[in-house]
Amino acid sequence: MLLLYKRRKILIYILAGAFGISSCKKIIDIDAPVTSVNQANVYNNDATAISVLTAIYANMSNGAITGSGFTGTAGLSLLSGLSADELTLYSGVADNELIAYYRNALVANSTQNYGSELWEGAGSPGLYYYIFICNASIEGLTKSTTLTPSVRQQLLGEAKFMRAFFYFYLVNCFGDVPLALTTDPAVNSTLPRAPREKIYQQIVVDLKDAQNLLSSTYLSGNLLNYSNTPERVRPTKWAAIALLARTYLYTGDYVDAEEQSTIVINNTAYYSMVSLSNVFLKNSYEAIWQIQPVRTARNTEDAFTFILPSTGPSEDANPVYLSPQLLGSFEVGDQRQENGNWINSITVNGGTYYYPYKYKATTVSGTVTEYLMMLRLAEQYLIRAEARAQQNNISGAQSDLNAVRIRAGLTATTANDKTSLLAGILHERQVELFTELGQRWFDLKRTNTIDAVMGGVTPAKGGGAWVTTDQLYPVPFADISKNTKLIQNSGY
Amino acid sequence: MQFKASGNPMPLRQRLLTKTLLVMNLTVILSLVVCLQVSANAYSQKTITLSQKNVPLETVFKEIKKQTGYTFFCKYEWLQQARKVDIDVRNASLDQVLELCFKDQPLTYAIVNTTIMVRLREGRDVNVAEPSQLIDIKGKVTNDKGEPLSGASVEIKNSKRGTFTDANGMFELKQVDANAMLLVSFTGYAVREITVKRNTFIPVSLALNTSSLDETVVIAYGTTTQRLSTGNVSTVKAADIAKQPVNNLLLALQGRVPGLLITQPSGLAGSSIKVRIQGQNSIMNGNDPLYVIDGVPVVSQLPMTGIDAVLGSPGPNYNGNGNPLNYINPSDIESVDILKDADATAIYGSRAANGAILITTKKGKTGPMHFDLNMQKGWGQVPRKLNMLNTRQYLDMRYEAFRNDGITLTSPFASANDLKVWDTTRYTDWQKKLIGGTANYANISTSISGGTSTMQYLVGGTYHKETTVFPFPSDFADEKGTVHFNLNSSSANQKFRMQFSGSYMYDKNQLPQTDLTQAALLLEPDAPVLYNPDGSINWGPNATGTSTFSSNPMINVYTKYRNSTSNLISNFIAGYKILPGLDISTSVGYNNMQTNDFRPNPLIAIRPELRSTSQRYADYGDRNLSSWIIEPQAKYTKNISGGKLDLLIGTTILDIKTNTGYLRGAGHLSDEMLEDIHTAATITTFYTFRSDYKYDAAFARLNYNWQDKYIIDLNARRDGSSRFGDANRFHNFGSVGGAWLFYNEGFIRKNFHFLSFGKLKGSYGTTGSDQIGDYNFMSLYNLYGGATVPYQGINSLIPAGLPNPHLQWEETRKLLLGIDLGLLQNRVLLSATYVQNRSSNQLLSYSLPSVTGFSGQLLNFPATIENKDWEFSVNTINIHSRDFNWTSSVNVTIPKNKLIAFPNLSTSAYSNQLVIGQPISVIKAVHLLGVDTATGSYKYESKTDPLNPTYPDDYTKLVNIDPKYYGGFQNSIGYMGFEFDFLFQFVKQLGYNDALFWNGNRYPGNFFRGFSNQPVAVLDRWQKPGDNASIKQFSTSPDYYVIGSDYRYSDASYIRLKNVAISWEFPAKWISKSHFRNCRITAQGQNLLTITKYKGLDPENQSMTSLPPLRVWTMGIQVGL
Repeated sequence: MLLLYKRRKILIYILAGAFGISSCKKIIDIDAPVTSVNQANVYNNDATAISVLTAIYANMSNGAITGSGFTGTAGLSLLSGLSADELTLYSGVADNELIAYYRNALVANSTQNYGSELWEGAGSPGLYYYIFICNASIEGLTKSTTLTPSVRQQLLGEAKFMRAFFYFYLVNCFGDVPLALTTDPAVNSTLPRAPREKIYQQIVVDLKDAQNLLSSTYLSGNLLNYSNTPERVRPTKWAAIALLARTYLYTGDYVDAEEQSTIVINNTAYYSMVSLSNVFLKNSYEAIWQIQPVRTARNTEDAFTFILPSTGPSEDANPVYLSPQLLGSFEVGDQRQENGNWINSITVNGGTYYYPYKYKATTVSGTVTEYLMMLRLAEQYLIRAEARAQQNNISGAQSDLNAVRIRAGLTATTANDKTSLLAGILHERQVELFTELGQRWFDLKRTNTIDAVMGGVTPAKGGGAWVTTDQLYPVPFADISKNTKLIQNSGY
Repeated sequence: MQFKASGNPMPLRQRLLTKTLLVMNLTVILSLVVCLQVSANAYSQKTITLSQKNVPLETVFKEIKKQTGYTFFCKYEWLQQARKVDIDVRNASLDQVLELCFKDQPLTYAIVNTTIMVRLREGRDVNVAEPSQLIDIKGKVTNDKGEPLSGASVEIKNSKRGTFTDANGMFELKQVDANAMLLVSFTGYAVREITVKRNTFIPVSLALNTSSLDETVVIAYGTTTQRLSTGNVSTVKAADIAKQPVNNLLLALQGRVPGLLITQPSGLAGSSIKVRIQGQNSIMNGNDPLYVIDGVPVVSQLPMTGIDAVLGSPGPNYNGNGNPLNYINPSDIESVDILKDADATAIYGSRAANGAILITTKKGKTGPMHFDLNMQKGWGQVPRKLNMLNTRQYLDMRYEAFRNDGITLTSPFASANDLKVWDTTRYTDWQKKLIGGTANYANISTSISGGTSTMQYLVGGTYHKETTVFPFPSDFADEKGTVHFNLNSSSANQKFRMQFSGSYMYDKNQLPQTDLTQAALLLEPDAPVLYNPDGSINWGPNATGTSTFSSNPMINVYTKYRNSTSNLISNFIAGYKILPGLDISTSVGYNNMQTNDFRPNPLIAIRPELRSTSQRYADYGDRNLSSWIIEPQAKYTKNISGGKLDLLIGTTILDIKTNTGYLRGAGHLSDEMLEDIHTAATITTFYTFRSDYKYDAAFARLNYNWQDKYIIDLNARRDGSSRFGDANRFHNFGSVGGAWLFYNEGFIRKNFHFLSFGKLKGSYGTTGSDQIGDYNFMSLYNLYGGATVPYQGINSLIPAGLPNPHLQWEETRKLLLGIDLGLLQNRVLLSATYVQNRSSNQLLSYSLPSVTGFSGQLLNFPATIENKDWEFSVNTINIHSRDFNWTSSVNVTIPKNKLIAFPNLSTSAYSNQLVIGQPISVIKAVHLLGVDTATGSYKYESKTDPLNPTYPDDYTKLVNIDPKYYGGFQNSIGYMGFEFDFLFQFVKQLGYNDALFWNGNRYPGNFFRGFSNQPVAVLDRWQKPGDNASIKQFSTSPDYYVIGSDYRYSDASYIRLKNVAISWEFPAKWISKSHFRNCRITAQGQNLLTITKYKGLDPENQSMTSLPPLRVWTMGIQVGL
């Protein structure tokens, strides 16, 4: 009998042991990996909260990543420059994607998807990923109670500013786009395209909020005032005002555009028109907002992409040079074109290639001297000139336009009525803002001059006939196939 | 059947056990033991009142017993032969009733005390005599060599009693009927029946089993045989693995196992392998089986280091970044068992939804010390070349394309280095140049083994080297060194035993960073020479000095990828037999895999004109996988009611830590210094991933085998995994399996003489999957590794994905029905199995539009996928004689994968990808009508525009690339010392046939640096109106639609002579003087011949970018001392 009891006891012990252990939750509790933080705690701590917004700027600066969108061979400056009349694609380039941009022959189908990089990214996230980070930050920061109030306020301002900034580029490249204002995938995955007016309304709301939240001084990486020369690499109140001025201009609200640009122009303590060769230097007084390069011993990716080496353009690293249309549009004596100020050239084998030389530093070693320009003062003058011209303030428009012309070594404008002034301003924008984040491409579209201009340029580029639907880039094919509410732009 | 076991002390103990079992809530057993259990209370009443019509004799016996207390002693089979009886008596005597019952029966009876002995009439059974006497017996069980077998089962037939042999093979049974029959069995040996015949000492010699039915089959936490298995388990033995010169044992399984489809996506040594057991259960990933090596589970997919892309074998059969079994030595493997159905896998619960592959390493065996040496040398080549355009044809294609497009060559838009810069008179057969070489194969393995009855050992070592077919120095090779050991020991009384095994492999694999296959196929035939006369890389500079060779394949010499991996797998098992039949043990396993990989990018590999603005750098990756597992378990074996009960309970605690990533060092002073990260000017973390996976479970299995006729197998498991959120961490899995060995029924034996074995089996149960990666329920923010100079001096964090705290287990319900038949003394074994697996609550990375910020989110989706398989196999012994043996086996699997349900599919992100009722791999294509004879353009079946079909409306043609059927056919022929083996593998399928035109955007006529050549098939193109061609007119522009059309898919079926192995054993008299135990020479071949209509390099990997599986020949010698 003893034996029997013993056996039963053993069995019961084993059973109890086995199931006891397995129902113990502690055994399978895990912590987040030490290399990560999570949504629950990332916004509880100043340093980690700051690093989330910082990641956006770092990403935007990294031309090593295809489709980072704002610089380098897949940046908007190059792609929209190809689409417009700014850049010529080197004949040796066999990249179908660049060819499609260049010939205004973008396409979105199951096998080829050229023209959607900015939206969905290519090999790395696109603008909607950045917008997700902005939305996640806004949600996290709003809930957070443990951050230093000033940090929380600045970051909330940065998140709203960046969201507006990204939507501005989306709406101008694609037209109507889905307006995602939350991180909830259930909501975002079924969004239809919102009308462009609605997007602009949201941009204005965000920028007004950002103006109130953002610091009026430039802040360091831990959101404190700089003790030495301020780096202008985080958005400030002034950046929000400058972008709002541009937004009002694009939406035809000239009164507000003038008002906003005036605020920036009047802040002479921070901003002034510096000489041509100093405009794109880091911490330049012309800079309202810049982005710091993040690759070891490299200056801006734009410099690497646009400045041609002694061997001339090449099929991948330096695929473009300036177009005859742009070169031909400079007035005689324009210092921007002369003396290697903003344009330089190289002669290879008897052929001369001109290239953008706004950024001049390509050294691999040595100190970084140039930052990528995102918003600058000259544009504010041109915004105000145009806003004033639209309001028939001829002399006001002339003086703003001349502020830009005179720096370029030109004489004062001779235009003296609204029409000729607007034409003069459009031309001035072409030669002042070339290869700067799609300014030319957007100008052609918003002034409805695109059909007239591209009607001649596209066939010259070998792209066949220009059709007006080419002015909008295609919605990513993958998004259309995943969200039945999304409708493709016509012409694709 | 025995109504009363007189003089047997068991019933009391049995009732106690029954109570214990009740505690465990295993009532099922009780219902089996049932009605025949009656207590031995005496009844005074001797008269019987009965009124029953057409009832079995058994029923009457029970009634008689109830009324009189008399018990019956009888063989169950006899009762089944008895005819039914009509009886109507009132207060009749026992004699009268019995008279009526046995009237016209084949049986008769005798009354002994209160027992009624039933037996056959006319002495038809000589074995059962009257229970004249009870004696004590002893015996010894040995193998055919006279060595004792410990742990053999000795049962008294038709009773509940039995025992096991001790360390010396001895057994002892008390109070046994002097005429009883003993049933002696031992796994791997033929069962023997021996009559006691009043002997008190019974020597039993067991012969090794010749029938594959009785070969050992390893199952989860135990072993069984094909004969007794209730599940769907297939076994591949060391002998078959040894015949194949492969570096991953999975490749030795191709074509051998029904229900298992193994695809080799690349011929590069050490690359990934795609393994599917009974199809794809999950829409997303996580379709890999569970691998268990000596009880230690290993990860199914290696986490990437970030720079090991070359091992991921691009192409349609891509499957992860390398296979963990690359780091296991195939020659250390004793057997591989593939567990497919719920019954076999439910005990692995969550991890075995896709089946399990159990790998058992070689163990030492009792006997004198053996030394074995096996040396092999071999050669591997790409088996097939593709017909590509030569220079003349290529140039004509290009000129024609320019003409068709109306572009003059001198135009600045005519990008044509191939025509303008290169020497158009050159022709190079790039396939011959780049992948036409011979890979050298060498394998040396040795082992020493032996042991006594209480201690066995095995120590082995292997060196393996395989070079590539590329034109690179011989250090581009996969070199492996392995040590394997095993130690088994037990105490003299066999109560305590322990087993310690381990294997360690060091693998150094040096490969080009990119597989040269794509360059070999697509490099333009007039591309420049690879090297300058001075031996430097030729970049083909044009007049301005710009390189026209964008990536000379030879830069791989300088950018060699090196992967060094060491893998240790060890396992320790200690067991103790507490009581007869009750055995407790604990298994402790440890696995540590360390990888360091290195990918240099020296300046010399960069185009000269870019060097001034480039930096040399190198990537240094590492991966550290360490896992431990502890599995305490208890086994209980007992004979109950004439059957054998096996009960297993246990628990698992598992922890896998992963730590992987890579650093980039840049700015070294010279290319030579790249090897050393410490000489880098800057070091940046590019990728880092750490994870911890924890898992624990409790499991139980109950197996009851009643007289080798009815077997029932129950499994249950409760699992917890750290991959899920708090609410859903635990889940229960279970299965029920049963088998009816109908051949053991008398009436079958009697009526079907051609049969020698017959079994019906079935199982149903659930298994799960948590193959989703760690931490998906958390919303992680990871370090952003792209910024090598921190922005404003601070590190940045980016969200890793959309979290889902509600993640749950994916569940697969598996149903199996099968029949196994043995004919002609089991010389023919037939097996047919029907399988229906349904996976639901799919864990999938639900595809999302990029507006959400990400391309998908992991979630459980109520989609249901069904896999129906028919599996057939036939094994035959065609000739079996002393000198000549010939066996064959064929297996065929007919799989069918189907999406059963997907709520709201039409509005989901999958609406254009999946179709209800179709396989989940279905491809929606636009139907190509052909080339318009008038315009030379492709025409598609379109509702709107036949030249520009619209997506998705016109993409209505469904293409199914799942195999229709697959299988293998093997023959082994032995004559004297010769052995000849061959295996054919066959697959019937549609596949990607990119060899009709290259698989990217490169349309014939289009030029894209280094990827522009085309197969000769493109010559059938449209040239002028009226041409009836299969390819549209050449163009320098890409084509947008043809790649999405059904034209891309064609027959990719094949029959492949997978393996031939020939060996010859030196006759014993030749070697007897040399003290060799044996000596054998071998010749083996792998992938020798492929019969296919497929147009590309290989119908198995279907890739234009990955090296096809190589054809390998080896010669070898095996020596035993």
